Amino acid sequence: MGFPARLVTLAGLVLLAHAGYSAQEHAALSSTLVNLQLSAKTLPLDISIETIVATLLVSLGLIWGSPQLRPIQWHVWAGKIEREGIAGSASQGKEAEKNFQGNPFNALEFRSGFVDIRKQRRDFADWAKSGK
Amino acid sequence: MSSSEQELQIHPIVQESVVHNAKTLSNFHSLTASLFGVTAGILGLESYAGFLLYLVLSVITTLLFYVIQVAPASLAEKKPLFDTTRFFKGALDFWTGGLFSGLSGFVLTWTLFYGLVRV
Repeated sequence: MGFPARLVTLAGLVLLAHAGYSAQEHAALSSTLVNLQLSAKTLPLDISIETIVATLLVSLGLIWGSPQLRPIQWHVWAGKIEREGIAGSASQGKEAEKNFQGNPFNALEFRSGFVDIRKQRRDFADWAKSGK
Repeated sequence: MSSSEQELQIHPIVQESVVHNAKTLSNFHSLTASLFGVTAGILGLESYAGFLLYLVLSVITTLLFYVIQVAPASLAEKKPLFDTTRFFKGALDFWTGGLFSGLSGFVLTWTLFYGLVRV
């Protein structure tokens, strides 16, 4: 979750808390001051607007801050990893970096070649002889 | 071999990505459903009006989710508008899945905040 997304979510939550407090105060006041003809049922327009705006802000922050989706089709997913490597997931933060599994074709690309066992044996024999 | 099986063999699907995407979406839906409950409670809505608010807000946030999370990569791949096949298996799952899973959380916080604000 990036910092701006967190900030938006936090601002929305503060607004929502304020709207809730205002609504509660309004309800408490209008129930005691019956003679002022305030009805407890209808909320003032500004509180309603604040509530709706706060809700939209929080959900915007949540969407913005939710982890990036990954392609589900194998060829798209593998192609993306191969093209971007670790840099592609590093830009998505710590969580994605932890989940990074590397190039799915690594086993094919870094296959070790055949070992020349006879040459190694000869080298060892030479080394053993020279040691004497 | 059935045709859908054959399709899967030709275009395999990364199960981990499917799980990751579904988890991201359901997390988001359960969080926002409780949030909408707070909103409905503060607004003091009753009966059908509350559910209507839930429906409207859910549609708006799902659209927002599509626009922010799905659309940039999906449209860059030349997929048609409102097509979610890059990230989700079923289109219906994406558009309506959160509506039912979040309903109980919505009612829970709705009643809680209605009581907190008005009693």
